[in-house]
Amino acid sequence: MGCGGAAGGVASVTVWLEVEGEKRRVELPAEIGGRVECSVDGRPIVADVRVLQAGVMSLLIEGRQYRCVLDGDGVVIGGRRFAFEVTDPRSLQGRRGAGAGTDGPRPVKAPMPGRTVRVLVEVGDEVEEGQALLVIEAMKMQNELKSPKTGRVVKIAVGVGDAVGSGDVLVVVE
Amino acid sequence: MLIANRGEIALRVIRACREGGVATVAVYSDADRGALHVLQADEAYRLGPAPAAESYLRGHLILDVARRTGADAIHPGYGFLSENAEFAEACAAAGVTFIGPPGSAMRVLGSKTRARQAADAAGMPRVPGSVTGLADVAEAVRVAVGIGYPVMLKAAAGGGGKGMRAVSRAEDLAAAFTAASSEAERSFGSGEVYLEKLIERPRHIEIQLMADEHGSCVYLGERECSVQRRHQKVIEEAPSAVVGEDLRRRMGEAAVRLALSAGYVNAGTVEFLVDDKENFYFLEMNTRLQVEHPVTEMVTGLDLVHLQLRVAMGEPLPLTQEDVRLRGHAIECRIYAEDPENQFFPSPGLITRLIQPSGPGIREDCAVYEGWNVPLDYDPMLSKLVAFGETREQAIDRMVRALGEYVIGGIKTNIGLFRRILMDADFRAARIDTGYLERLLAEPDAPVREDVPEDVVALAAALFAASARRETAAVADLSEESRWAVAGRREGLRL
Repeated sequence: MGCGGAAGGVASVTVWLEVEGEKRRVELPAEIGGRVECSVDGRPIVADVRVLQAGVMSLLIEGRQYRCVLDGDGVVIGGRRFAFEVTDPRSLQGRRGAGAGTDGPRPVKAPMPGRTVRVLVEVGDEVEEGQALLVIEAMKMQNELKSPKTGRVVKIAVGVGDAVGSGDVLVVVE
Repeated sequence: MLIANRGEIALRVIRACREGGVATVAVYSDADRGALHVLQADEAYRLGPAPAAESYLRGHLILDVARRTGADAIHPGYGFLSENAEFAEACAAAGVTFIGPPGSAMRVLGSKTRARQAADAAGMPRVPGSVTGLADVAEAVRVAVGIGYPVMLKAAAGGGGKGMRAVSRAEDLAAAFTAASSEAERSFGSGEVYLEKLIERPRHIEIQLMADEHGSCVYLGERECSVQRRHQKVIEEAPSAVVGEDLRRRMGEAAVRLALSAGYVNAGTVEFLVDDKENFYFLEMNTRLQVEHPVTEMVTGLDLVHLQLRVAMGEPLPLTQEDVRLRGHAIECRIYAEDPENQFFPSPGLITRLIQPSGPGIREDCAVYEGWNVPLDYDPMLSKLVAFGETREQAIDRMVRALGEYVIGGIKTNIGLFRRILMDADFRAARIDTGYLERLLAEPDAPVREDVPEDVVALAAALFAASARRETAAVADLSEESRWAVAGRREGLRL
């Protein structure tokens, strides 16, 4: 996001985003509220913007009404949630796909807090992509965590019965 | 009345009590001090730590609370102690009315094997096969030849799909028997398996009953619960699109015969598999109020919890079978804290935003509020959204509309999945069976952006990001880069 002069001399803000994985560049006027002239990837949009409460906004665009609700790293419109991420233009190059390769160690993290009920592999085991590594339980449901790649288990950070927090690294596959 | 439960069902019972002028006592675990059922009850008492085994499952603690508060009845809701015969009997011994069947009826109908025997005695059709465990492969072959292929091997101690194998040809039976038996041994500590005829593409249809202690029992139509994932119901509706007057009467009368033969009292549900030739087969009986009871309430106009309370007080049923009239169509979606896009992982946590649907034909039985932290210790169900319409089509349309209004922020939910199911051509045409949802989930999801233009989504996201940045800039004079990071953290955006 940065400030600069838009065409016509009106101060504007540029926001770089990834929405559902697609890169977007949005130009906004410095002052937001009421009728604003914006653009998305260079395409102009005129919108009537009203903030109803923190995180809830009404957009009127060509007479169509969109109730937009901010939900963490997503925006909910028309009952659908669209994930977005603000991106720094200076790091856009090369950041896509980072960590998604098949080389190098890949951590398997807990998707939610819970308790480890089974560990299905040992350090040194060769595993296939998609193979179940361990089972954690939360909300009365048992969930298998699967290997993100084919490789070798180089670290197991939890034992049966351990409580885990969301985002904790449980296993590393290299 | 003491409500020995939590979540939406505890609220449902509290509401029925309040309408009837009955004072309510809630119980709670440490994780539920701020839960809605505690906030809504007249009195509330702590049971213990968060795990259910140390709180909601401790019957003697619950009876202590009943004694201390002078509660003369206990409603168990569903789950927890609702089908625990010892607890029902302990209540009776303590002079407290248990809102449910007597322990004796629960013992007969709650056990898989005894319920099958009772079903046989009541002339109830059930899936042909062996009633007891198979001794060896030779016996499996004999039974299979007797009932004809395809057959299904099932673990006697089974559950959750473990130890089950479908076999369509005689030459595959021996290998499948060994595999099912060893899987059952690993999963349940018992390798005992039995064999049933495989009902292909069955529908799950169940009959709601209500019985009084004066020998009257009525059936309140059926519910179809064929939309399931891993044997868990996801969507329920009443009536079933494939059940006509004659089939309804035959299933209802069979269910009533079973209940009467076991001395059943109060609300109960008999579950069946139904094949495409309108044959129905007994599965099991649930000796309690069920999650999906609202769809029956919508189409019968009856309040099942009120009826439960009256029957438990010894009143005769206020209606006969002829008084039961079905009108319209109702559908229920179970809204769960889970992530359908990531292997249905549970998603406990803080609810940062809650916008609830309303409008014609919409009922929401909900147990959450904005600012409530959904604990990870219990079932992930957040609410039940129920839509009623004059026709099935109208009920579906209303449900789609209501799902569009519904926002639960801060955690992941399955709301988006319901929109996908309800828009699916097979679901709309009622071409469903118990394998329907797994098949749908195996297909690639349709593109999700047909309604909302991508540019509008990008604009909305940018507006939120910019306003977060502006708020942050007002409080600190930071470098461009750190303002980014601060703004991102502030709104929970990933940078």
